[in-house]
Amino acid sequence: MSILKKSGVAADQTLSSKGLSAGSVGLIGAVVIGISCIAPAYTLTGALGPTIAQVGTHLPAIFLVGFIPMLLVAFGYRELNSAMPDSGTSFTWGVRAFGPWVGWMAGWGLVVATIVVLSNLAGIAVDFFYLLLGQVFSDPSIADLAANPLINVVTCLAFMAGATVISYRDMQTTQKVQYWLVGFQLLVLVGFAIVAFVRVGGGSAFDATAISLDWFNPLTVPTFSAFAAGLSLSIFIFWGWDVTLTMSEETSGSRTTPGRAATLTVVIIVLVYLLVSLASMTFAGLGDEGVGLGNPDIQGNAFSALAGPVLGPLAVLMSLAVLSSSAASLQSTFVSPARTLLAMGHYGALSPKFARVSPRFFTPGYATLASAVVASVFYAVMRFISEDVLWDTITTLGMMICFYYGLTAFACVWYFRHQWRTGARNLFFQIVAPGVGGLILAVLFVTTLVDSMDPDYGSGSQIGGVGLVFLLGVTILVGGVVVMLVNARLRPAFFRGEGLRAGVAGDEREGQAVLPE
Amino acid sequence: MRSVVVGYLDTPAGHDALALGTALAHTLGVRLDLVMVLHDQGRASLVPTAPSYERHLDDLAEGWLQEAAAEVPAGVTSTTHLVRAETFAEGLVAAAADLEADAIVIGAGKEGTLGRLHLGSVGGVLVHSAPVPVAIAPAGFAERGVRSFGSVTAAVGTRAGARAVVDTAVATAAAARVPLRLVSLVTLDSVGDGERRDRDERERALHDEAREHAERMRDIALDGVPADLDVTVEIAPGPRIADAIDALTWSDDELALVGSSRLAQPRRLFLGSVAAKIVRGVPVPLVVVPRDHDARTTWTGVAPGGAHPEGTTP
Repeated sequence: MSILKKSGVAADQTLSSKGLSAGSVGLIGAVVIGISCIAPAYTLTGALGPTIAQVGTHLPAIFLVGFIPMLLVAFGYRELNSAMPDSGTSFTWGVRAFGPWVGWMAGWGLVVATIVVLSNLAGIAVDFFYLLLGQVFSDPSIADLAANPLINVVTCLAFMAGATVISYRDMQTTQKVQYWLVGFQLLVLVGFAIVAFVRVGGGSAFDATAISLDWFNPLTVPTFSAFAAGLSLSIFIFWGWDVTLTMSEETSGSRTTPGRAATLTVVIIVLVYLLVSLASMTFAGLGDEGVGLGNPDIQGNAFSALAGPVLGPLAVLMSLAVLSSSAASLQSTFVSPARTLLAMGHYGALSPKFARVSPRFFTPGYATLASAVVASVFYAVMRFISEDVLWDTITTLGMMICFYYGLTAFACVWYFRHQWRTGARNLFFQIVAPGVGGLILAVLFVTTLVDSMDPDYGSGSQIGGVGLVFLLGVTILVGGVVVMLVNARLRPAFFRGEGLRAGVAGDEREGQAVLPE
Repeated sequence: MRSVVVGYLDTPAGHDALALGTALAHTLGVRLDLVMVLHDQGRASLVPTAPSYERHLDDLAEGWLQEAAAEVPAGVTSTTHLVRAETFAEGLVAAAADLEADAIVIGAGKEGTLGRLHLGSVGGVLVHSAPVPVAIAPAGFAERGVRSFGSVTAAVGTRAGARAVVDTAVATAAAARVPLRLVSLVTLDSVGDGERRDRDERERALHDEAREHAERMRDIALDGVPADLDVTVEIAPGPRIADAIDALTWSDDELALVGSSRLAQPRRLFLGSVAAKIVRGVPVPLVVVPRDHDARTTWTGVAPGGAHPEGTTP
């Protein structure tokens, strides 16, 4: 309503309110959206185990170091977003910097990464759904239903369908509800950590392990492979944080609001991550028995195993926190591939069907449905071929994020390559920071890809002696190339650079990458 | 110049609303304001907003509005407006206030059975909160080809609020220069069991009471209205409201009016149980009038003899 009130009725009885209702998201609102997108409860339960499997007790160190490449790339992301605001993000920027082919693959990377995380989110939600039912009815056999592949897949598809309807119809929870949900999530995580510490102090911990300063030292991680793998996972835990940086145009107050919102968000998130990971490790130890965090059976979903021993009857709160966190993240994540697919359809890089906007709900309807179908099929197939679907999808996800974030970072460097002359600020934010960040991600991507060929990598899932994560990564990327070639055949105009094409900051086509009508 | 605000969407329901709005504007000689409501950024709580996507939406919506405006026949003045609001209903109510509109027009949506009305979620919210009359187009109305209305029917209850609907109906019929029919719906389920002769007697008593009331309403309403306005009173009995409505004959170019409930806050619509049944049963476009709507302000922009739709003789 705000626009209507502000603009009122002009002399010619026109209410047209093009553009944005500026100043609608305040500092707290931006922080809440940021935390909601990162979804700490979901992220921790999914990433704790796989990361510990790679780096052992150095988890806190890796969580801290993992923020660095994310921060560096996010700087570049912000620069690109303010120079070329476009819902195609990585796709559009990739095309503008490197031309249609590389840009297409960057878009593919983004879409695939978000589709993989959608399936993982829904999978985690299924586990906690049955855990919650088991807790509510005090019947552990209900929680075991999640282990039945058929029940699991059917429930997951139902969740996915629900999330699709919500996204398609653009049903948003009110800001107030969202504040409560995020507050509840943080409260439960902090409460979990405090109770775990108290139990360690009181001697009722599962495997009380003394915290050591060495846990914070990234340099003592045994191998570089382990370091790289851990790092690519910890990039996933900060994924979503960049939205607080790019909400610049619609945050209210001064120009400093987005920066402060992003800083506040990341401080909260890092503190919660450190607190909860320290508490989990000191409570459960890293043994491979029972709820020890080294036990491969619980590593795909740590809290579902830890909540009971730590919180006792209150474990139901943890289930609620993870479920609400997954639900919120499912919704905010859905938007990303849908909008990128919309842009790809709009610019002629994909079928124009993807550019369709629902005339009733004003959402990218076709792209949303397509994302949902692919994510559902991906999860169903993975559930049957992988012994440890959640773990494998998280590892693959880390790799895909490195791929498209890395490409985006390099696109920033290349697009702004002449800007270093314009001052130290531009040199740092547009070239040095994204350049270093991109290099780190590239190294992580290659290392993870090579290492994951080993059948013992990660969860140990394998097909024919080759690690499943490697096969997934290669299938996804080669599949992308194939789909791209098919589209190049069907829609040659885009690939000839007609319409959206490569350029450099400051050229005459600078304003081109804004969805034209 | 007064106006009707059409809540437009590029959907079948939106086209029905456009057709109804056009017919109303044509019949009453008022302006047609096409309003499209986009979501407000302020409500974003989960999904980060993307300015570029919002701009893309703005352009798309603007295009849809222009297409709709192009369909409006010459002779009807139309304007287009893009509005941002938390909900579709809120946006329409605010636009109606800012544009000083006399009515809000929406489409019922495809859920309605057999061409009858059905309030979608938006319609449901609107008829419970709008400060001005809300006109609802039944699904498929756009295909009926009704360009202007040839008669007006008002459902007259015996409860408070009847006065507002009768006044509005008189004002509408007078402005459009079409015949007015005041209908009193009598449900006989309250007659109860007992001896047949007793029941017949009670039925007759109800019937007479309804007619008396309707005629009284007519006489009050006609005070000060052009003498050439053709007003008839009809009593429609039936076991239930739906049967009573079915017992009436409806022509294609008819416009129906019903009052909102006593439960409404002052100047707000609230659909009572009887009105809700009427909404579901009526096969023509229906206008829901707020309980204390001041009909003297309705269609005041219409100069005497201002609107002369073809095919109607005063």
